[in-house]
Amino acid sequence: MKPEHRPIPRSRWWSLAALWFALALCLGAAPAQAEYGDVVINNHSDAAGMRPVIFPHWFHRIRYRCKVCHADLGFKFKAGGNDINMVKVIDGQFCGACHNGDVAWSVENCNMCHSAKPGTPTQVHESTANALVARNAVAASAPGAAAAPARK
Amino acid sequence: MSPAAFLLRRPVAAICAGLFLFMLSVGTVLAADEPLGQRTYEAACSPCHASGVLGAPKLGDAAAWAPRLKTGLEALYASALKGKGVMPAKGGQAALPDAAVQAAVRHMAQLGAAPAAGGPAGATAAAAAASVPAAASAAAVSVAAANTFNRLLRAPGRRNLPPAEDQIHDPGNDGTLLLQPPLTAFEALPRSNAGNRVDWVKALGGTHITPRADRLDPKAAPMVMDLNIVREVKGSMPDVVYPHKQHTEWLDCSNCHPAIFVPQKGANQISMASILLGQQCGVCHGKVAFPVSECRLCHSKAKPASATAVGAAATASRASP
Repeated sequence: MKPEHRPIPRSRWWSLAALWFALALCLGAAPAQAEYGDVVINNHSDAAGMRPVIFPHWFHRIRYRCKVCHADLGFKFKAGGNDINMVKVIDGQFCGACHNGDVAWSVENCNMCHSAKPGTPTQVHESTANALVARNAVAASAPGAAAAPARK
Repeated sequence: MSPAAFLLRRPVAAICAGLFLFMLSVGTVLAADEPLGQRTYEAACSPCHASGVLGAPKLGDAAAWAPRLKTGLEALYASALKGKGVMPAKGGQAALPDAAVQAAVRHMAQLGAAPAAGGPAGATAAAAAASVPAAASAAAVSVAAANTFNRLLRAPGRRNLPPAEDQIHDPGNDGTLLLQPPLTAFEALPRSNAGNRVDWVKALGGTHITPRADRLDPKAAPMVMDLNIVREVKGSMPDVVYPHKQHTEWLDCSNCHPAIFVPQKGANQISMASILLGQQCGVCHGKVAFPVSECRLCHSKAKPASATAVGAAATASRASP
């Protein structure tokens, strides 16, 4: 027997809408599990066949005050805004000021920095702007594209 | 089956299918070397069990899992394979082999029995769960799920995860496993309720940590300036007190002046909108310094009584017709 075709009752629309809303929130919230302030830098990594870099602020601020990197070494307050590459690092600029085998471990430990899942866009993880502007930036942006939130 | 369960079943199946397609479309690659249980969990179960949507017991939530674990693994297998309440059979993915579903159940049961970042609070919750009936724990789950919907809060099972589980590090990368898990560093530090869940200002002031002020010289001292700037704000929020002291403990004058803030009273227009979008205070607050959910850490100076009275009178006159 063929079931009778009826329009969906209003009450069911509401439950559907509520469920999809919950789903959207789940999708938005699901990736946000890394540490607050973890910066993903993917200016060149994906294109060069390396995993993107993750810079953990929490680890570094236990050992150095902000000013050491952001004033003395010239890191700008902008994820992906410093155009760092390995030539500069090996030359002793940016990360290379410490990661030289003298102050901190050296550049041969590639995978300790280049440790993000391939395709992760440049971002400050769990930043407010990230949450407001680009909830689903991870899904929307192509690999290598810088996510909007970190930009001014 | 109750009519309510029937109504819910189809949207749930739609959600599961939608999530599956979503995962495929964004190219979520499941690493082949991850254990079967975890892989299945991430593919089929996590859409509901990660956030606790629709009353699903959350991964790592000992209070929610305790009564379920009491029923035994076989009962849990049966629920997962045949469906229970609003949960469809095999989480709506009928193609999954039984062994994979059972492995996922074991994975969730394991983490439910021993939460990764439980600590004393987790232990208390587990102890409480033993005496709480299932209905009450279901209510607790829905409260926790409501909290995860607030972007500024993070569910207990998602706080300070080790790199391999934090969703941005590649667990298949050997270097990831060499990195320090945050909790091992944070254990000794004063805690807070937001951001890294570490009160960094207290950690520095209480000499829990002694970060260098110079790249090489461990004895170099920062140039600390003790000057509070009070900013009167519109509306009912307390005025903002900006302490140079806590900022210069970490930062150099040149970090903020003159590019972000003109060093002159009244020269800087600041709004919460621009802060939320990562400008002015938001260059750091909301990214690495404590997030904007902590309103009262900045808005900390009560308005003068007269101003409050005037404001209240104005509100009252607006309210009365």
